[in-house]
Amino acid sequence: MTSNVQATTKRYYEDVQVGDSIPQLVKDPMTHLRLVRYAGASGDFNPLHTDPKVGELIGTDGIIAHGMLIMGFVGQLLSDYVGPESLRKFNVRFKGMTRLGDVITCTGTVTEKYERDGEGRIAGKVQAVDQNGDVKVAGTFVAALLRRS
Amino acid sequence: MFDSSKVGHSFPPFSIDVERCKIHELALAIGDDNPIYHSRGAAEAANYKDVPLYPTSPTVFHFWGNTQMRQELVEVGIDVMRILHGEEEYEYLAPVYPGDTLTGVTSILSGKSRRGRDGSSMDIVTTETRYTNQYTQHVLSTRTTFVVRS
Repeated sequence: MTSNVQATTKRYYEDVQVGDSIPQLVKDPMTHLRLVRYAGASGDFNPLHTDPKVGELIGTDGIIAHGMLIMGFVGQLLSDYVGPESLRKFNVRFKGMTRLGDVITCTGTVTEKYERDGEGRIAGKVQAVDQNGDVKVAGTFVAALLRRS
Repeated sequence: MFDSSKVGHSFPPFSIDVERCKIHELALAIGDDNPIYHSRGAAEAANYKDVPLYPTSPTVFHFWGNTQMRQELVEVGIDVMRILHGEEEYEYLAPVYPGDTLTGVTSILSGKSRRGRDGSSMDIVTTETRYTNQYTQHVLSTRTTFVVRS
């Protein structure tokens, strides 16, 4: 389990600048157990994520992680940074398969600050890579932050 | 080859009750021990009305709310055995809490076929699901892009 004691700290619009890096999140190595748990939690029971025999049959060389689990890791990065209710938009493209043992690191950068619908908003880029730097997912987000004043 | 006459097709609505325990379970599966996802008391102490949705909770609504989705895709000619997930997008329009009941309507937003250099073709299909709550307020939209290899 990864933890972040600052997770519930509010981040204010005035404190974020374009170009800021989002504190990175490094997850534990991927395990078969995590994929079984994620299948149950999400309802995605496609056997290529849980049954090694299916992986052999379809030529993925073993089981591969749910892409949505990796998006969930990036969701944790954003949840820790801005809190879940600040998010207005979050999207990713799935770029590569994650295998057992892979260590996923999530990172992000703030690319814009602007006002919309009376809210101070930030937009940014996020991605998740493995221990070799291979990109698994890449995407963007928009969040509305509280103002100090 | 994707049948472009299916663009705009809507699937039957489905209903999902938002439950604290499913949010807790998803956060556990992802390995996020932020207490706001695991205890109502911790969420309230952090100024949330109740346990908030996880950023990727809408995908749980999609799978658990509509267990017929695979069959519905087959019925519009999509080979679910050859699907790869290409993109996922969420738009969070209003807060959603445990106790809310959401109605989701999925439709086919776009679809096109592409031919590769080796003569193989692939379909790229995007579906959109709009969720409204028990007050008919539009609270969430999700867009999912599949790549279907032939």
